[in-house]
Amino acid sequence: MQGRNGLPVCVKNMSDNGKEKEQVTLTIDGKEISVDKGTTVLDAATLMGIHIPTFCWHPKLDSIGACRMCLVDVEKFPKPAVACATEAMPGMIVRTDTDEIVKARRGVLEFMLLNHPLDCPTCDKGGECDLQDNVFHYGIDKSRQAFTRRRVIDDQTTDAFDDKRIGPEIIRNMNRCVTCYKCIRFNKEIAGEYDLGAYERGNHTVIDAAPGEQIDNFYSGNVVEICPVGALTNTDWRYKIRNWKAKQTLSLCSHDADGQNIMLWHDQRQLWRATSRRNDDIDDGWICNIARYGYQYINSPDRLKTPLIKKEGKQVPASWDEAISLISKRFKEIKDSKGSVCLAGLIGGNQSVETAYLFNKFFRNKLHTNNLDYRLEYIDLKGSDETEAYNCLYRAPFTIADLEQADVVFVFGSNFIKDHPAINLRLRKAYRKFGTKVYTANPVETKSADISLDEMIYSPDTETAFIAGLIHAIIDNKYYKNIDETKAAEVKTMLAPATLDEAARLCGIEQERIVNLAKVLSEANNPYILAGDYFVASAKRHRTANGMYDLANLLGIKDSNAIILASQANSMGADRVGVRPRLTENLKKTLIDKWGEELPESPGSNTSQILNNSLDEEIDGLFILGANPAMRYPDGPFVNSALDKLDFLVVADLFETATSAKADVVLPLAGWAEQSGAYVNVEGRYQKFEKAQDADKGIKSGIEIIHSIARAMDLSLNLDNAALMHETKDIVDAFEREARDEAKFFEVKQAQIPEHDNYPYRLLVGNDIHHFGYVTEHCPSLMRFTPEPYLEISPNLAEKLGIDEETLVRIESTTGKLVLKARFSEYFEGDVLFIPNNFSATEVTGLVSREGGGWVKIEKLDDK
Amino acid sequence: MEQVFLKYIDDPNQHKIDTYIEHGGYQAIQKVFKEYQPTEVIDTVKASGVRGRGGAGFPAGLKWSFVPQNTGKPIYLACNGDESEPGTCKDRVIMENNPHLIIEGIMICCYAINAHHAFIYIRGEFAHPAARVEAAINEAYAKGYLGKNIFGTGFDLDIIVHTGGGAYICGEETSLLSSIEGSRGNARIRPPFPAVEGLYKCPTVINNVETLSSLPSIFNNGVEWYRSHGTEKSPGTKIFSLSGNVNKPGNYEVDLGTPLSYVINDLGGGIQNGHKLKAIIPGGSSTPLLMPDQIDTPLDYEAVAEAGSMLGSGAIIVIDERSCMVWVLMKLINFYAHESCGRCTPCREGTAWLKQLINRIENGDGQPGDIELILDVCDNIMGRTICPLGDAAVMPVRSFIQHFRDEFEYHIEHKKCKVETDYPFV
Amino acid sequence: MILKESTIKEIKTRMERYPSRRSAILPALTAAYRQVGHLDNAVYKEISRVIEIPYVEIAEAATFYTMFPKHEVGKYLIQVCHNISCSLRGADNMLIYMQEKLGIKMGETTDDNLFTLISVECLGGCSAAPMMQINQDYYEDLSREKIDTIFADLRAKAEEEGK
Repeated sequence: MQGRNGLPVCVKNMSDNGKEKEQVTLTIDGKEISVDKGTTVLDAATLMGIHIPTFCWHPKLDSIGACRMCLVDVEKFPKPAVACATEAMPGMIVRTDTDEIVKARRGVLEFMLLNHPLDCPTCDKGGECDLQDNVFHYGIDKSRQAFTRRRVIDDQTTDAFDDKRIGPEIIRNMNRCVTCYKCIRFNKEIAGEYDLGAYERGNHTVIDAAPGEQIDNFYSGNVVEICPVGALTNTDWRYKIRNWKAKQTLSLCSHDADGQNIMLWHDQRQLWRATSRRNDDIDDGWICNIARYGYQYINSPDRLKTPLIKKEGKQVPASWDEAISLISKRFKEIKDSKGSVCLAGLIGGNQSVETAYLFNKFFRNKLHTNNLDYRLEYIDLKGSDETEAYNCLYRAPFTIADLEQADVVFVFGSNFIKDHPAINLRLRKAYRKFGTKVYTANPVETKSADISLDEMIYSPDTETAFIAGLIHAIIDNKYYKNIDETKAAEVKTMLAPATLDEAARLCGIEQERIVNLAKVLSEANNPYILAGDYFVASAKRHRTANGMYDLANLLGIKDSNAIILASQANSMGADRVGVRPRLTENLKKTLIDKWGEELPESPGSNTSQILNNSLDEEIDGLFILGANPAMRYPDGPFVNSALDKLDFLVVADLFETATSAKADVVLPLAGWAEQSGAYVNVEGRYQKFEKAQDADKGIKSGIEIIHSIARAMDLSLNLDNAALMHETKDIVDAFEREARDEAKFFEVKQAQIPEHDNYPYRLLVGNDIHHFGYVTEHCPSLMRFTPEPYLEISPNLAEKLGIDEETLVRIESTTGKLVLKARFSEYFEGDVLFIPNNFSATEVTGLVSREGGGWVKIEKLDDK
Repeated sequence: MEQVFLKYIDDPNQHKIDTYIEHGGYQAIQKVFKEYQPTEVIDTVKASGVRGRGGAGFPAGLKWSFVPQNTGKPIYLACNGDESEPGTCKDRVIMENNPHLIIEGIMICCYAINAHHAFIYIRGEFAHPAARVEAAINEAYAKGYLGKNIFGTGFDLDIIVHTGGGAYICGEETSLLSSIEGSRGNARIRPPFPAVEGLYKCPTVINNVETLSSLPSIFNNGVEWYRSHGTEKSPGTKIFSLSGNVNKPGNYEVDLGTPLSYVINDLGGGIQNGHKLKAIIPGGSSTPLLMPDQIDTPLDYEAVAEAGSMLGSGAIIVIDERSCMVWVLMKLINFYAHESCGRCTPCREGTAWLKQLINRIENGDGQPGDIELILDVCDNIMGRTICPLGDAAVMPVRSFIQHFRDEFEYHIEHKKCKVETDYPFV
Repeated sequence: MILKESTIKEIKTRMERYPSRRSAILPALTAAYRQVGHLDNAVYKEISRVIEIPYVEIAEAATFYTMFPKHEVGKYLIQVCHNISCSLRGADNMLIYMQEKLGIKMGETTDDNLFTLISVECLGGCSAAPMMQINQDYYEDLSREKIDTIFADLRAKAEEEGK
């Protein structure tokens, strides 16, 4: 196997899994220790509390033994050995503190300082610099350097410190570099990115972005974090505050569903930066740029700081008392005059699980309505959510770290790096370190193509046909397990298209490739199927989910190994505490026990139904907390008219949004960093985050807002914060899911693909790689990566239509039109287009229908 | 004296396959295929005592026996023709004059270690030698000596010529592998040793051009014949590249154990223009000096080591009385600083610092204490680096100061050379 | 495109012989250098496309190796060995002579763009010192007369080709 860079990749040896590790006993500094075979001397010493200094070593990178700082003395070795790459051997006698070793380390430090500018007073790394610490420890206080120190200057370095910007967020100061290569190793080994390199050689070696380019990959912030000195710093944080003056607070990424662990650095006034807080179960200590820079919206000057009330068609500032009593009055009126079924609540998927639970309790238990949902994103299309197969796969007991044990992973419908930054890196690790084979199927080529043994590109909207084809291939070739031929023949009748040949032709992928994937999956010991946002956003996702369910059953794939991945920080949390109209029997029981009351009887409406009912004037009062369906939900014009029809709309959010513009009352909402709480990530893992800073006086948390409204309506929820936390945790812990029924098979029928004669191009809408949801345009760092919306188009289609890069293009669908700049993508081929939906100025949802995604026509705008 | 490598040096057609065959070429490999099992080849090579001619002198047969068989991975052979150690130009002459000898040697080795893919790494500057070797390989393919089912034995072998790009470090075995893989020629830490995890993470043997070229003679003439040349522990013949201040510089093949004086005086015609011998670098630029009173040292691994130096690559550089040793050392340290790959700290920074210090002495800016500083920097490099380049840079520095400290002290004090220098160009 | 079809073909032919296409980086750099006369970012980009290895990897490898000039040089790149064996036989003085002869300093190119003069580390011609390499060719056992002849011959050859 060859990776993208042509380097060999290891081949999986499944027999190693789960084996008890052999132990070896060695002596370090006179004390014995037993460790797993394969442990390095460095790790063994660390286990004993013996500190061995390092620069180039990193626990998650392959050791290269380059800095020579970790030299130790090993008896019978002819010369000192690097502890970071010397495997502990039985009977080995190691000394870390001999005179020779201390001299060696002092020697290394002297070499490092030789051309170092010693500009600690103006270096941003001061206080958290390995070079400072090691020099301090080894007491190098005299310089024998008599020559002018080497400076690395080129036409882009600034005069002051020889700084050079090498990426939207990264400044390089080569004078300070100790050439540990950690940045480049991370970039290539872990992220699989090739925008940073080492050039020249010897002591002329320089680290820089690819010549003439920038380091702007999605994980690029990590290279700054692992730099042991101030050679790489990021503009987000540098020169703003000294790190020892900042407080640190445990937190989580508030955007995607992976639950990357972060540390927030802040003072009383504001958040200053986010760094990783290594969690080997989730992120291995690597975080994506959205987790790293995506905190900045909290400190945006655009934050809402006072409630607004619509008076004579205009929203004007008001006091909290005025706003809350108006909400209470109007909700009461609607409830009393039209009944609870005319009230509804929608809450965003990145509100804390406590907020989500309290929201649920308020609506169900106090307002007595089942009209509530958290799925109001672009991927949450109408009426496709409540099927058995879909819910079963969505709630599968998946664990990220277990991917390392996978021998085959099939990623179905996901631009993995965008949808799941942490799982993406774990998959890359599994591929690189453990020889996991990766297969992918997507509507456009993705960044996973370099690790995918076969990246299959299916025609738009043929997800169901693809999976039906896969099932055909399994049955035709008798790859199935656990069922007999009769059953297999029966399952085959439940498929449309009715043959592999037809299915293959419809989705535009050669039969042999589908059969090969079927074969590989059937031969695997521990295969995975992971479905992401393209899958979820597809027009008939429930039909495709049926297929995935059948597929998993046919191949005997473990319950934990076939999953439709959730997309937002607390999607799973909201799901588990019941923020949706229909609940599982188990959850109903839990809630009834907890609340001591029956639940409302009405069937309840989901997002799509709530909006429809608003349009039909069957819902009059709506409370939207931390969500922006007018910008994010498909079919913008429809959402807008639905919101317009409401008698009374309350929107609580951090910013004024397209949705809040429609509101009768707008409430300034606290962000996640301004409160404590928990998120439940894609695995169903409950993780707490702490409050890092106080919100502005004019801002309240979701929990406070719900309590205030409830109190004003005399519907006290009677839960202080501690009790709320407990109760929420109880509900989350009580979650039980029915395992996939291995004997059950669903129909898998590809829906008719509507004709789009006048609108020939399939438009995909989603997150830009450096944006997530609708708040990241308030993060200046992320805006530096992607400052404006664009139309992503394949170079060949652009050529066909005479469209040049960076020129304006008119995009039109049956529901709306837009003008955007064209951007060519190496990943796009043919008639598929992409527009990010993270920019409030671009009403891209206006182009997308609720039924079948976006079909558009485009033309070059005349040069004027 | 009987010769192996340079026997047909005067035949302008020796590089052609027909001439090579006429001179008994490709007999050894056919004999090996017919009469030997791979393990027997290894045993024979072990018995012959042939040692690595690249510099380290490691027994070739023993090296081969470290290669794990049956790992499911392919096994590779890399033939090292990077020849970049100053003073050394012996492999070039084999590549130019006798390329089929190398190919036959490679075939024997590959058969022994069960490799079907061999690489000849030739330094990039050697465009013509590389072209010769490549042409020879093509001839061998055309004759069916390479490729599939060689001599009808079912044995397959492909040989690829890989040329470098100007980097001494790529002669170091792990850097050589990095370079073949397409990476920067950075040295890698050992373990894993190349024999276990080398090229493309597969078991790999790396042998010098001259080492592999020795093999046909062993199988043609027998172990006993081979051992009749050289000494007990250093058997066989070796090419010595004689350069510097001698009357007749050149490549001379002699039995190991031949006195150094024989090579310099009898073959090399003595010191240039009758000048007085000052010092000898016996095994390539990184080996410590031998002094005039050591001129009778036998040229074998043990004797040269005993004399305080190393046989190394067999590059004998003769320095006469007209040279300032500070200047000579400057030439050497400039080289090592230029060739440091930059991977590990002591070599990257240390060689550059030594270069600065030695240059300033040569330039008349030396300071009292510089010699002690230089020696201390040497201590901080020696044995602390990933690969031997650090040691290679330090050994001549220490040796020059040990033997000619007075010249360094004089240079620092008087800002000029102690000796009357003359480096004439005619 | 900078690289000619024949160069690309050579690169691809060589690439196919290796177990990994990444190994084609050095052969590609060599082929490109021989065609273009030097290497730069534009060349790395093209090589990257031909052998499908990331651009940065090509640039990293190329800048590691010193044999390839990274900017335009004269028609004849003269690389003079200044290492020990050549120096002991007068390489320093030879360099002075050559600078005078060509009317340029080290690292410079003659006005007619014919000769670029640089000094390099050991070229492995130690037993025939002093020596130099001009483009692919070695010139050994050099003397003043030899150098005069070599330069004159090259000038004549260039003139011939220029016609």
